[in-house]
Amino acid sequence: MMALEHLTRLTLSHNKLTEIPQDIVLLVNLEKLNLFNNHIETLPSNLCDFTKLKTLNLAINRLKALPRGFGAFPVLEVLDLTYNNLNESSLPGNFFCLETLRALYLGDNDFTTFPAEVGKLQNLQVLCLRDNDLIRLPKEIGGIQRLRELHIQGNRLSILPPELGQLDLCGTKQLFKAENNPWVTMIEDQMKIGPSHVFEYIRTNTYKFLYERYTEAEPEPALRKTERAKRFGKK
Amino acid sequence: MLQPLDKSTASPLFQRRLLHHNEIEKLNINDSRPNSISSNMSLLQNGVCARCGEGFKMKDQIVNSHDQTWHPECFVCAQCFQSFPGGIFYEFEGRKYCEHDFHVLFAPCCQKCGEFIIGRVIKALNNSWHPDCFRCQLCNGPLADTGFMKNAGRALCRECHAHEKARGLGKYVCHKCHAIIEEGHIKFKEEAYHPYHFNCKTCGSELTADAREKNGELYCLRCFDKMGIPICGACRRPIEERVVNALGKYWHVEHFVCAKCEKPFLGTRYYEKKNLAYCENHYHQLFGNICFVCNNIVAGDVFTAFNKAWCVNHFACSVCDRKMSQKTKFFEFDMKPVCKSCYEKFPGELKRRLKKNYDAQSKK
Repeated sequence: MMALEHLTRLTLSHNKLTEIPQDIVLLVNLEKLNLFNNHIETLPSNLCDFTKLKTLNLAINRLKALPRGFGAFPVLEVLDLTYNNLNESSLPGNFFCLETLRALYLGDNDFTTFPAEVGKLQNLQVLCLRDNDLIRLPKEIGGIQRLRELHIQGNRLSILPPELGQLDLCGTKQLFKAENNPWVTMIEDQMKIGPSHVFEYIRTNTYKFLYERYTEAEPEPALRKTERAKRFGKK
Repeated sequence: MLQPLDKSTASPLFQRRLLHHNEIEKLNINDSRPNSISSNMSLLQNGVCARCGEGFKMKDQIVNSHDQTWHPECFVCAQCFQSFPGGIFYEFEGRKYCEHDFHVLFAPCCQKCGEFIIGRVIKALNNSWHPDCFRCQLCNGPLADTGFMKNAGRALCRECHAHEKARGLGKYVCHKCHAIIEEGHIKFKEEAYHPYHFNCKTCGSELTADAREKNGELYCLRCFDKMGIPICGACRRPIEERVVNALGKYWHVEHFVCAKCEKPFLGTRYYEKKNLAYCENHYHQLFGNICFVCNNIVAGDVFTAFNKAWCVNHFACSVCDRKMSQKTKFFEFDMKPVCKSCYEKFPGELKRRLKKNYDAQSKK
């Protein structure tokens, strides 16, 4: 199979692969690699040698960490790491060098915080952090000007950094999902009447003041949800 | 504030000087010729010199002035002890001085020329001036009769003061009425004016600050626009260089910009929407459809779902990559389409959770 050097798309979803052979990079023209729903636990460290890879789907696997140098893909645009066992210490140092990324899916993982370096991904349009253990968001997300889709539902978030107000996530081509979080009452009330009200509210000076007071007080984060533990007993 | 000169001329020194001057003109100095023998006789017997207190001898000449008498050698300047040239003396606090010493001791010096001032003294800015020496320090016009304005320690005429003040405030002074133009001047023949001093050459209406000049005449903006000079749709000023004609208006090349990023098109392609122009990038970002798969602008038919767009050919299951059509049943997972057979292969825990969320959403 490794002789198929003209191959541009390879889909291996719904198998029981536990690892990927290093030779896979011989498929030098590969633009799309789909390994959705396998049993992969580790990735070869030379994976980033795919110089033309634009889409990499590793959702529903058993990754605990990404190999060193993973951030060296030169043209990667869509990276799907949904439903793995990743957290903030699983990311290699150069992860946020993936500046060509326009969609990053990290839903159903184990992040409790998210690195501020995410602000370097200036081409990012979609950021999915759904169903993690996040207790706060980095304010740098507010600086990703092109962001139009943000999924942060199902976390342990109680407040939003006011910098998020710089984003426009309320149009018909934008998306903001934030339910199932232990929001403070002021935000929860705005959530009920719609995301545009949330953004209007966090742009106010009142909120900035309350936010500072709230973060200074360092409240105990909400407890981890018990139901989430189940999901690693995968079938 | 304008300081009236009446005050200066009413000052005590000026008054005193005036008094003495007039008085002295009238003073006649008595020589020894007796007015009458009897009076001289009585002086010889009873009179004493006002200075030395001695009596007079028969042959002595007697100087008589203001009911006082002196020996001629005692009737001298209190400063130089010389007799008064021409008999003219000045009296001050009971003492008499020759003209020269009186000036040296008491007469004011002109701040400008340094000479003594006899006659009218202008007192201003803590100094004295000859009326003719007191002039505007900028235009040199006489100030003695018109009054002056104090400006940074200088005496200025009203006009120069207004100019200086306006310059300090960064404002213009109207060349016609010389008042400061508080806001909205017009320039006409190199000078600034209040617009309301002029009327439009064509329609006669009183001009405002947006008036324009053409061939030495002034026009209101409406009339000026009608004369065929293109006006930039952005800055509302006439365009003298290259004209861009777009959106039914004229523009300076550098003022025809994308409504979103405000970068000038400089001749590159632009897109129009609701009478606004956009660069290609922002037009598509705002109004166009960019395929989620190929990241290009959707040229043909668009498939839209989950707040995203796809080229019709690129709409496929995000898991198995099989193409889907409008009729294919698909599920949503992280706002991406998943075909039914792939969805069924999801872990049971995940499916249950997704269903629970889905039910919770649809309840709302």
